[in-house]
Amino acid sequence: MNTLYLRRRITNWVALSLSVLATLIGLGFLAWILFETLRQGISALDLKLFTKITAYGSDGGLANAMVGSLIINFIGIAIATPIGVLAGTWLAEYANRTKLGETIRFLNDILLSAPSIVMGLFVYTIVVLPSTTLTNGNTTFSGFAGGVALALIALPVIVRTTDEMLRLVPSTLREAALSLGVPQWKLTLQILIRAARSGIITGVLLALARISGETAPLLFTAFGNNFMVFSPMSKMASLPQIIYQYANDPGDAMHALAWAGAFVVTMFVLLLSLASRLVLSRNKVSHD
Amino acid sequence: MTESAAAGLHPQPAASPEAVAPTKIQVNDLHFYYNGFHALKGISMAIPEKKVTAIIGPSGCGKSTLLRIFNRIYAIYPKLEARGEVILDGENVLDSKYSMNRLRSKVGMVFQKPVPFPMTIFENVAYGIRHHEKLSRADMDVRVEKALRDAALWDEVKDKLKQNALGLSGGQQQRLCIARAIALRPEVLLLDEPTSALDPIATGRIEQLVEELKSQFTIVIVTHNMQQAARCSDLTAFMYMGELIEFDGTEKIFTKPSKKQTEDYITGRFG
Repeated sequence: MNTLYLRRRITNWVALSLSVLATLIGLGFLAWILFETLRQGISALDLKLFTKITAYGSDGGLANAMVGSLIINFIGIAIATPIGVLAGTWLAEYANRTKLGETIRFLNDILLSAPSIVMGLFVYTIVVLPSTTLTNGNTTFSGFAGGVALALIALPVIVRTTDEMLRLVPSTLREAALSLGVPQWKLTLQILIRAARSGIITGVLLALARISGETAPLLFTAFGNNFMVFSPMSKMASLPQIIYQYANDPGDAMHALAWAGAFVVTMFVLLLSLASRLVLSRNKVSHD
Repeated sequence: MTESAAAGLHPQPAASPEAVAPTKIQVNDLHFYYNGFHALKGISMAIPEKKVTAIIGPSGCGKSTLLRIFNRIYAIYPKLEARGEVILDGENVLDSKYSMNRLRSKVGMVFQKPVPFPMTIFENVAYGIRHHEKLSRADMDVRVEKALRDAALWDEVKDKLKQNALGLSGGQQQRLCIARAIALRPEVLLLDEPTSALDPIATGRIEQLVEELKSQFTIVIVTHNMQQAARCSDLTAFMYMGELIEFDGTEKIFTKPSKKQTEDYITGRFG
């Protein structure tokens, strides 16, 4: 009896220690990354970073890249959200447990893990190259093309979360609405989407966080630009692309700018994640 | 009357004066299949108008299945099939030509777990009405208030109609679901174990409500709580393994049932 009790306490202690250790390793790296980006970039973290453009090189800031990132991300999310929410709704409400639905869900999961550079090349082929013929052979890299590439990355994330959040809505809610004679489309739009709303918003925010850090899909699409532009039809700089470019530069001042840019992106993603948690917890009124 | 008497399951008029009421729902030789599994085996019964009919029986006997056929809510899931007749006011609701919209405005349902919609208390009640009728604001206010009053919830929520319904207690939520169902002015009200998720006080309230509502609606209540059936129903049907064993006045079922199986179940020998 006593040895059994002792053995259980030891097993418990070992399991607990291992899981605490694993957590600490994960959190430790996160803290280290945050600390290191801040330490290396602090010399460049000033007002200039947010006001001057990259054309000034080591004397400049990242203002145009920040604006570019915002525009490209906005385009990406604006394209991916309606398509993703509708597709996720179709999967959960109309094609759930059908062969076609399962197949599309599986394909969406593949898209979810597709390498992002592939998305960049794909958009280069379907958006950038064809539009070249319209401009007498001038290359047509653009913020819009970058947005399309990011949309392709955000899309499967939004499809997946919408699908899962809707499937978490208890089926009794569907039965209750249908038993009032309400048709399926009204039930879906007015009740189910509302019930799953906070989860869907979280999915969109997480997708935005995901695409904010993407570099590869932008290299062949938005390309980059040292000047401040607002038109999505022109070449456009973005933070990840500038970080990539400056990190390859030999100058220390450029490195510091790259680190500062990395810090800004990381903080942006962190804030988005916090915002999504806030949305989720605020709407957590019990359904039981 | 004659054909249900032939089925041998109509409550005997002499033993239960309640049964003099006209029939609202006539079930004839109803069979039900879950993905091939034979869940209901030839149910025939006559449910009288403006009475409370309770359906009791052990888990898996088919009582909820039977109830879910009356408004065809089962039809939202694939691979389920009902055969036979459920005659509501002279028309077979299982006929594919019978409009679902019409059926569900005539037959309301309240479920085991309270499931308010994620909207305000007012909107919960108004939502169903809005789908079936175009009402002015003032008329809608009157309808919602009437439904909430009939569901004995008005006094508790009249000052917070604009608040989210998910903030109500479980018992209040269930009464809100009853208000939502009766707001459509149905003729039949189906209650599927409406108190199994509630505490005794909330349960008592709902039972009292059922008593008050039977002057307006034909009520069919499925319950696994025999005392509940005894307390608030006029007629009781006992089901076992997909068959209707006995259907009679509640008092007769609970004092001198004519079938051995019913007696064994009532006295707690199985189930």
